[in-house]
Amino acid sequence: MGPGDMTSEATAEWEKVLGIFSDEAEGLVASMEENLIALEVAPADSLLQDILRGAHTLKGAAGSLGFQAVTDYTHGVEDLLQALIDRRVAVDETRVSLLLGAVDHLRDLSRASLAGVDSLGAVHLAHLARLKQGAGLHPAPEAMAPAPAALPRIPESSGGKRGRSRMDLERLDRIVTLTAELSVARGRMTQFLSRAEDSGSSWEDALSLQREMDPLFEELQEEVMKVRMVPVGPLFRQHLRTVRDLARSQHKLALLELEGEDATLDTAVLDGLRDPLLHLLRNALDHGIESPDERKAAGKDARGHLRLRAYHDAGSVVVELSDDGRGIQRERVRERARERGLVAAPERLRDDELLRLIFEPGFSTAAEVTELSGRGVGMDVVRRDIEALRGSVLLQSQEGRGTTVTLRLPLTLAVIQGFAMGVGDQVYVVPIEGVQECMEVPAAERTADASGVLSLRGQPLPYLRLRQVFDLGGGTPARENVVVLKHPDGMVGLAVDELQGEGQRVIRPLGKLFQGLPGISGSTILGDGRVGLLLDTPSLVRRAIHRASEHAEAPHSSQDLLPEQPCSTT
Amino acid sequence: MNHPIEPGTGSRSSFLSFMLAGEEYAVGLLRVREIIEYRPVTRVPGMPVAVQGVINLRGSVVPVVDLAVKFGLAPRPITRWSCFVIVEVSLDGQQTVLGLLCDTVREVLELGADDIEPPPAFGTRVRLEFLRGMGRHGDTFILLLDLDRVLSLEELLRLTSAADEAPDSLPAASPPAPHPEAPGHG
Repeated sequence: MGPGDMTSEATAEWEKVLGIFSDEAEGLVASMEENLIALEVAPADSLLQDILRGAHTLKGAAGSLGFQAVTDYTHGVEDLLQALIDRRVAVDETRVSLLLGAVDHLRDLSRASLAGVDSLGAVHLAHLARLKQGAGLHPAPEAMAPAPAALPRIPESSGGKRGRSRMDLERLDRIVTLTAELSVARGRMTQFLSRAEDSGSSWEDALSLQREMDPLFEELQEEVMKVRMVPVGPLFRQHLRTVRDLARSQHKLALLELEGEDATLDTAVLDGLRDPLLHLLRNALDHGIESPDERKAAGKDARGHLRLRAYHDAGSVVVELSDDGRGIQRERVRERARERGLVAAPERLRDDELLRLIFEPGFSTAAEVTELSGRGVGMDVVRRDIEALRGSVLLQSQEGRGTTVTLRLPLTLAVIQGFAMGVGDQVYVVPIEGVQECMEVPAAERTADASGVLSLRGQPLPYLRLRQVFDLGGGTPARENVVVLKHPDGMVGLAVDELQGEGQRVIRPLGKLFQGLPGISGSTILGDGRVGLLLDTPSLVRRAIHRASEHAEAPHSSQDLLPEQPCSTT
Repeated sequence: MNHPIEPGTGSRSSFLSFMLAGEEYAVGLLRVREIIEYRPVTRVPGMPVAVQGVINLRGSVVPVVDLAVKFGLAPRPITRWSCFVIVEVSLDGQQTVLGLLCDTVREVLELGADDIEPPPAFGTRVRLEFLRGMGRHGDTFILLLDLDRVLSLEELLRLTSAADEAPDSLPAASPPAPHPEAPGHG
């Protein structure tokens, strides 16, 4: 049977059936893959049975739709699995690799069948023959015969959608209900306003009516936000295989363990996490995990352990990657810092300062990746990517024991709890999490300099004066305040005219024209209808540090302070 | 209307004209979304002066361009007739809405192919490549702007309006332009 000559209704039905098969096949293949990786570490009959059951279900589903290629191929996979269960052959790395390869083929073949291509390519037949060999069976000679070229690779379908439809439906129902309630409330408001003048109602009445709407609206907003939330599980699970294969390619052994796969975060944040996470995993395998011999000599399990963990904490999501590798060798970091001239006296740095050097852009370059046996390859990119998501990176490491990288990310990029401050008629917003305290600038510090240092309870507090940094012009105001912000390198201050307090802010990107502007990461519509800008404090501070070091090396005229704004006002 | 449609004059197109520093300019009407009155602009630091900043247009954040500055003139004072002409352009293939600050909007006019002259080789206040032509309108000429040229991503990010050039590079030619944010009345 096939989608041949059918009515449009039957075609729609067929599409639905294909959709179900697609979801089912992706799910079965993914769980076969996970079980195989677990099997390699700790062979267990129950795992083999699970994998066989998965294969059997897939074969049945494909067979019922007439997908011959998937059916035939799965049959070959079952042969090897059965041989393993009957203990005719033993579970070893080669056979697990064979089966993992077969799983990849099954994924491709299922997608190809859905796209209308239902045949086995030469690659598949060759692999099928190897499966039979692995099962101790002699391959049938015709299986080796050349066949049509390999199938085109079908692009990845977006994962992580499985099993969400029910939840989504309930949420949609709630959203529909809230919208209805809001529309009733709005109707009442309209009626009230149209009669307000005649009935002599007061503003109080209008306000109380408005306040009835607020909770409804807030709840609606919350529900809509939640629609964007997805669990980290699918992203995490992709890496089970990555870790195994990467480790093998370097003749190492490694296992990735997952925790907190149910933790959810915004789709956009999840997408932004993809690259940095892969980078960190690669780093851990390249430089953290030792070779099996080295590990045994150090009294560790020959197999390295990586643990990827996610949990919610105080309005953010924490994603933590730890390994039990060799950790960061401080002496190497110092050497590198000296070589690259990153700091004047690396031996005098505190440990946390030393570890932070790893995130410096000049710390390492691609050419030296293999020589460097600590970490820090491209870590500046990881930090930049995470900070672009308004997150932060923390690194802890014990020599010989391992390294933990902690990423703290906002739950969503769309809404923040923001703190607003005014400079002249301009308003800037920073995420509230970073704000430590506010203080008035003492009269002696009221200058027109772009930066300065205040004393905060006896500690020096470097600060930036936004009016000058952004070249806003205008005179120094009668009162000036400093907002003290937490920064990876300690506290920093922003000097502004007035403090406007906190509130929920919907963040919008600024669009193509303003892409890559340092110091600004988005915009938000303010209560009075004007636009406020969201500050990217880390990049502002980095720019200030960069300038300060440039000036220390070769003093320039004050004109060079802001090359983008040559017409400065003074 | 000043220009009723006359049969036989070929294809005619509509333009919206506006005033800028005493000169009349026009853009194709199809590119104009709406005209809104002046409202305070949020400055985006680090941009060329011609890109004034952003405004809130019914919940959308829209960049606004000071055409006078782009054309190398002093920033225009804000009056009760100042307004933004909201236009649509393609920035690097992405459809974008932009606001153009002008002194006042004049009229919608129709011009046939016969009414449009190629711009002269010199003498216009605006760079030649910014012009689609000169529209004949009674006794006067209207500068027809080529929005795709004036408002390309490259052109908008270019630091070469008069105000962006370092004042010391042209010391004698003209007195330094007042800062765009310094209020124009005074």
